Amino acid sequence: MNIVVCVKQVPDTESPRKLKSDDNTLDRAAADGVINELDEYAIEEALLLKEAHGGEVTVLTMGPDKATDSIRKALAMGADKAVHLVDDALAGSDALGTSYAIQQVLGRTGFDLVILGAESTDARTGMLAAMLAERLGVPQLSLANKVEIDGSSITVQRITDYGYDKVEASLPAVVSVVEKINEPRYPSFKGIMAAKKKPVEKLGVADAGIDADKVGLAGAATEVVDFADAPPREKGQIVTDEGDGGAKIAEFLASKKFV
Amino acid sequence: MRFALSNEQRGFAQALDDLLGDAQVPAVSRSWADGDAATGLELWKRLADLGVTALCVPESHGGLAAEPADMVVAFEALGRHLAPGPYIESAVLAPALLTAAGGGPSLDEVASGSAIVTAAAPPMTPFALDADVADHVLLVDGTTLRAAQAGEPRTSVDRSRRLFEARPGEPLGSVDPVQVGRAFDAATLACSAQLLGAGEHVLATSVEYARSRWQFGRAIGEYQAVKHALADVRVALDFARPLVYGAAVALGDDGADASRDVSAAKAAASAAAYRASRTALQTHGAIGYTEEYDLGLWITKIRALTTAWGTVGFHRARVLDAVTAASA
Repeated sequence: MNIVVCVKQVPDTESPRKLKSDDNTLDRAAADGVINELDEYAIEEALLLKEAHGGEVTVLTMGPDKATDSIRKALAMGADKAVHLVDDALAGSDALGTSYAIQQVLGRTGFDLVILGAESTDARTGMLAAMLAERLGVPQLSLANKVEIDGSSITVQRITDYGYDKVEASLPAVVSVVEKINEPRYPSFKGIMAAKKKPVEKLGVADAGIDADKVGLAGAATEVVDFADAPPREKGQIVTDEGDGGAKIAEFLASKKFV
Repeated sequence: MRFALSNEQRGFAQALDDLLGDAQVPAVSRSWADGDAATGLELWKRLADLGVTALCVPESHGGLAAEPADMVVAFEALGRHLAPGPYIESAVLAPALLTAAGGGPSLDEVASGSAIVTAAAPPMTPFALDADVADHVLLVDGTTLRAAQAGEPRTSVDRSRRLFEARPGEPLGSVDPVQVGRAFDAATLACSAQLLGAGEHVLATSVEYARSRWQFGRAIGEYQAVKHALADVRVALDFARPLVYGAAVALGDDGADASRDVSAAKAAASAAAYRASRTALQTHGAIGYTEEYDLGLWITKIRALTTAWGTVGFHRARVLDAVTAASA
């Protein structure tokens, strides 16, 4: 089974994130890059499926040169090879442009199963899996907290507010996973050393057959027109307990419709 | 000499930091001190899965045959996070001794983490650490390596270091004194790395505390006396670090000066970590002494490791001997 995991490098959630004032895009150079947390669950699920059913796991990432660090980590966890789509023409792509670019790369690598994290911690659109499935013309199984494969059919538990839906489809398919699905492994020393020798294919826009007009900031259908910092937290209200503290708390909660 | 960690070493350090950061190690260490080893053994297994116990084992026994610098990376992480247990004895000392002696407990099991080995190597290391938990106890008796049994318990200032006398048993093989020396050097280097990691932790904790603790209308870190004390710790750790990594390179090259370099590393790392722990206690004030506050676990650990595997005096004397012998 040919499993492709889409991995995104995002600014470390521990560090402050900023947008650039000139083009309103994320300032990726200003923060340390780490693998998007949910993508680690996607990698783990791909590795578990490979261990159970055989096949090969390819990591696919689109991002600047420094995304190499995230690729290395995914390879150290156990993925077999990687494709790194890196080109200045891609900078500023929106979800539509990204899904188009990834579709083009997947056309080259082929796939039985594409696994993604349900959303990234930077853009948080959570739309890439759906767009990708639509572009590829294959079923999308979203928000999976369990994946089972039997021959050419795939079944997932899709988490909902009230429990889960059981969703079935046939391969090839696109799956997005949530953090309840597994516990991602830590790369071992052996895995880290082995990752050094694993192939990483670097592709530019032209190599992947991507129409440069459809990607990048200029090709984006959406635009960030303005942004503002979140307002500082307002000072809390201090109530002195004069025997009626309980009533005051109940009053406050009632005013916010909590009780 | 120019030395910087490779991408792989940084990746390994990160993986260990991530695992240990998620593992609530101070609580594990407290249970270990109270004689409940269950969570500590679970952590041992997880660290073994990452390769910690296989680093110094030859590939013919399922080991990784890694460089001493890789071992230093691992032990700095163990020190930073306070992992309890005989890691130095099982992952560094035992592989060297058992390979040299050609007998005794299975190195394959040591590498996989399924067997834990501890050892006493008098006079520098008179007691066997955590001998009640270990599967095998070794005793270095001059040039004879012996199996041993856990004897009377002894106390350490670090409650998570459970020391035992080693009752000598049957001989397992003889070890060349040069190889005993090399095994001792490797263990001492691992201890230096642990001290460095522990020192870094208490410094980071103290800096954070000095920023958040207010007194007389400002953060205590704004007072020059506090700033300077913490800066001195930073300098001491930064001067010890190259000695530790330099000794790792020397040991990896099996250089003639490797023992001298290891001693220089241990003396500097001990002094730096000890200064870090004293300054941490002073910066924190009374909360630093509090049993429930985790800082004390690192402070007692540093105190114990400062004299483990040779005191600062012993190592300084070894450096002096090497320097004067070279100039004679």
